Amino acid sequence: MAGTSTLRIAWRNLWRNPRRTALALAAIGLSVALVLAYDGMLRGYADWMVSTITGPMLGDVQVHAPEWRKDRAMDRTLRDLPRKLAALRGDPEVASASARVYAPALAALSDEGFAVVVLGVDPVAESHAMGLLATAPRRPAGRSVLMGRPLAELMGVAPGAVVALVGQGADGSLANDLYTVAALVETPVDLVNRQGVVMDVAEAQQLFAMPGEAHEIVVRGRSPDRAAALAARVAALPELRGTEVLDWRTLAPEMVSLIQVVNSAWVLVLLLVFVAAAAGVANTMLMATYERTRELGMLLALGTGPGRIVRMVVAEAVALGIVGALLGTALGGAVVAVTHRTGFDLARVTGVGPSQISFAGLSWSLRLYPTLAFADVARAIAAVVATSLFASAWPAARAARLQPTQALRE
Amino acid sequence: MAWVAARYAVRSLRRNARRTALSVVGIGVGCALAIFMESVNRGRDELFARTGAESGSGNLRVVPAGWRARRDPRLRLADWQADLAAARALPGAKVVTPRARAQVLLAVGTHVVSVEMVGVDPSTEPAAFRFVRQVGRGRYLEPGERGSAVVGKAVAERLRADLGDEVLVTAVGRDGKIESAMLRIVGVVSTGSEEIDAGICQVPLPDVQDLTGLPGAGEVTVILADWRATDAARDRLAPRTAKGDEVLTWGELSPEFRGHMEQDKAASRFVRLVILLVVFLGVASAQLAAVLERRREFAVLAALGMGTWRMVRLVLQEAVALGLAGAALGLALGLPVVWRFSTAGLDLRRWTGGSFAFQGVLLEPILYGDLGAWIVPFVLAVALGATVVASLYPAWFAARTDPAAALRVAQ
Amino acid sequence: MSRPGPAVRVARAALLVAALLAPAARPGAAAAPEPPDVDALLARLDDLYRSKSSIARIEIAVVSPRTSRTMRLQAWTRGEDDVLVVVEAPAREAGTATLRVGQNLWNWLPRIARTIRVPPSMMLGSWMGTDFTNDDLVKESSLRKDFTARVERRSDDPPGWWLTLEVKPGIVGRWARIDILVSDERLPVEERHFDRKGRLARTMRFDEVKVLGGRRLPAHMTLTPADVEGQRTEMRYLDVRFDVKLPEDVFSLSRLEQNR
Repeated sequence: MAGTSTLRIAWRNLWRNPRRTALALAAIGLSVALVLAYDGMLRGYADWMVSTITGPMLGDVQVHAPEWRKDRAMDRTLRDLPRKLAALRGDPEVASASARVYAPALAALSDEGFAVVVLGVDPVAESHAMGLLATAPRRPAGRSVLMGRPLAELMGVAPGAVVALVGQGADGSLANDLYTVAALVETPVDLVNRQGVVMDVAEAQQLFAMPGEAHEIVVRGRSPDRAAALAARVAALPELRGTEVLDWRTLAPEMVSLIQVVNSAWVLVLLLVFVAAAAGVANTMLMATYERTRELGMLLALGTGPGRIVRMVVAEAVALGIVGALLGTALGGAVVAVTHRTGFDLARVTGVGPSQISFAGLSWSLRLYPTLAFADVARAIAAVVATSLFASAWPAARAARLQPTQALRE
Repeated sequence: MAWVAARYAVRSLRRNARRTALSVVGIGVGCALAIFMESVNRGRDELFARTGAESGSGNLRVVPAGWRARRDPRLRLADWQADLAAARALPGAKVVTPRARAQVLLAVGTHVVSVEMVGVDPSTEPAAFRFVRQVGRGRYLEPGERGSAVVGKAVAERLRADLGDEVLVTAVGRDGKIESAMLRIVGVVSTGSEEIDAGICQVPLPDVQDLTGLPGAGEVTVILADWRATDAARDRLAPRTAKGDEVLTWGELSPEFRGHMEQDKAASRFVRLVILLVVFLGVASAQLAAVLERRREFAVLAALGMGTWRMVRLVLQEAVALGLAGAALGLALGLPVVWRFSTAGLDLRRWTGGSFAFQGVLLEPILYGDLGAWIVPFVLAVALGATVVASLYPAWFAARTDPAAALRVAQ
Repeated sequence: MSRPGPAVRVARAALLVAALLAPAARPGAAAAPEPPDVDALLARLDDLYRSKSSIARIEIAVVSPRTSRTMRLQAWTRGEDDVLVVVEAPAREAGTATLRVGQNLWNWLPRIARTIRVPPSMMLGSWMGTDFTNDDLVKESSLRKDFTARVERRSDDPPGWWLTLEVKPGIVGRWARIDILVSDERLPVEERHFDRKGRLARTMRFDEVKVLGGRRLPAHMTLTPADVEGQRTEMRYLDVRFDVKLPEDVFSLSRLEQNR
């Protein structure tokens, strides 16, 4: 059949000059691999940005009593906490749900009082990779609390010191007790470092006379991307009726804008990388077909129809493109797969070493986890095929119009 | 023999004019693309940096002694006028603005809001603080006026107050005494973020002085024309400030943003690497194919007695010539485009779609490409690097081939 | 951003208490309803609340839609600035004391046996629980000096006179207008406070007029904010002594820490 024989000829032609073909394949393959690696990194970076935002404090979804966010009144609490938490944890889309207490208070080592915020948290839940207590040396428990390092330095508190905490209970009563600062922490949240005393949520509930209550429930789902859907789902739970349920994008729209702008700029560069890669492919193809002018002239002289010539040239170009793209996909995909599992320390690779990232003991996890979507691969292959087609069009048309005698002389 | 080689190189190039032209065009386009990509890459860095700096922290800030540890809004600079003058005289300073802060309680009837009030200089503040550039209702403060306030929408709502209303402001004065004053709301700012809105309360600087009894400003914030020069600028400014006052960089002011910046810098380097590699590959592969096709030619030259090194040099000379021509073309093609984007900027709103609901208040969506001295070395590196490297291997290989064998193969 | 504890609020309540106590009204004025001399009346209302020193026992109740609390405390005052408040009930907080001298404020917490100084930034905090505003208790405001008053109309039930007070221009304060109902004894019965937008913000009611410390005045006061459902604060004076001679060391930290 005309089709298969064209393809067979095309394939054979490709390998008549194995070195040139191999080099072209290598060039195309490497370009595609680079584009895919970059694409994967882009997605990993976007995910990283989102996780640094939702990780420590925001979570994917937050639940509050209505109006609490306006004035942070101590008595605007979520009631029936155990039931609410159980309902949330029972939902398959919820990866974790934990409660928090926020209480402004006075802290004193001797008699000098300092304005602080007591944060009652679930130590286990907040110790995940990007969490508030990810780098904390110890977890708060009972009378043992953590204090932000800058705050401790300001107050003159060293680990082991006993501080008094005075605040107002949810019922209006005076809350006061003594606590041991077990360790100093650097969290990813500057405000917590400068004003925070972190204690176990159960202890906070007891200190501030709010048993079974909390100010906030932090919910995490499978992925921050689906936070809005998670919020809608969680809000429909009967136990959460009457509460305010918001996803992180609604809570922090300024972060959304930041991510959007950063991403859009990255995507622009991706587009250009694409164009460059395509240009490289086109260039390679042009050279490859151009050099074959003499041979093509010979074929014409032998009676091959111009249409056939064009089909042959185009088939070769497309075959070259596809094979090169597949090789590149294999390589790029492999790189992404490996780095996805182990993580990819961008800082170390590019020479901006970890010592520059860490800040006074706080080490930001800079591991990216590149991912690729099928759309990325499809896009790359389609682009290569398209450029092969375009790149071969002109020399093919030119070849078809050749005068055999002229071509033979070249 | 060297001169002959050079003449040969030139003639060879001229003889295959079309192939040469194609090569040069290929290199040129590749270089132009590379310049544009890198310009956008750097522009992105700059956008990110600008966003952070104009969200209040600036690039540098002159602060009183002890502020670094305490962050007490009641601290004041030792000599704010001198600090202001020193900052204004700093080469590279784009915006310089003083501020005085006070923790206050705003009240309308029984509705109260606790907020950090910032005393500003209305003529320079909007350039330094993006959130007050667009006042949703009313207007911004005017230079010279007193007793007026611009607040965020969330503040006005919590006070159940509106434009033109009088608000009681209470603060702790100099000796710990409670002081009060009346302010009139002249503008309400709506940024789209409730949290940011709830923190905006700006009044003229003298009003804070009068209320708190603390004289002068508590900080002088500086935004530089080139954010990359921040550390150098700090070193230059620090000795010129009043005794006791310190100069902090934005990294020290906001460690969270600094973390993002560092990550961004690393990512930016990665992108640069990818750009270079991709363009390099494209150009080099084309050159490689071209050179490989000339093996017979080299075989002839070898048969005529040309030595290995001479042949390599020949090829290299050709490559350099091609590379330079390609670089020149790349600059000619790329510079106008980069120049346009560095002045007019690229409006990213189209890329982010309709969800950019805040009319650019939260984020400056215009990306300015970078135009700088880096362009020439960049282009040369790409063009020359690609052509030379592409030529070296086959040149050496071709030179080593047995001429007879090469001549015998019909290509 | 923080709100001071109840002990601090109570200190301010105590100042208000001190301010509320004043030279005795003259009972049994002429029964014929005569419109009062406005200037003299305002001066009396202002001075109704002053004494050089005092000791008092007070009960405070805070009712909100979500909670309800009652406290009983004892307060010593000297002049405008010095106040010592000790909580008597509820038992859980008994012995908690607050001392204010000049611009400094300390809390004594018997449960943890600590004295803590309250930083000035926290003295501003808005209140949860009581509906008193800080300038009720800390700032000196004068009805006579800050407002222009006129007699509005006669009230028959309860018998008395309604006055309208409008704030003078340039005065720093929350209220644009205060409507006061005074009884024929020239004691306050009701006060309505209007904010600077002219909206009714809160209502204060005075009743249980009795003789306390040699003065005849309302012993019970209820403060109700206008736009919050189910919220109010009540104060009741159990007993009071005015212009007593207080020992020198009452307003001192060492006394603060002793058991009372």
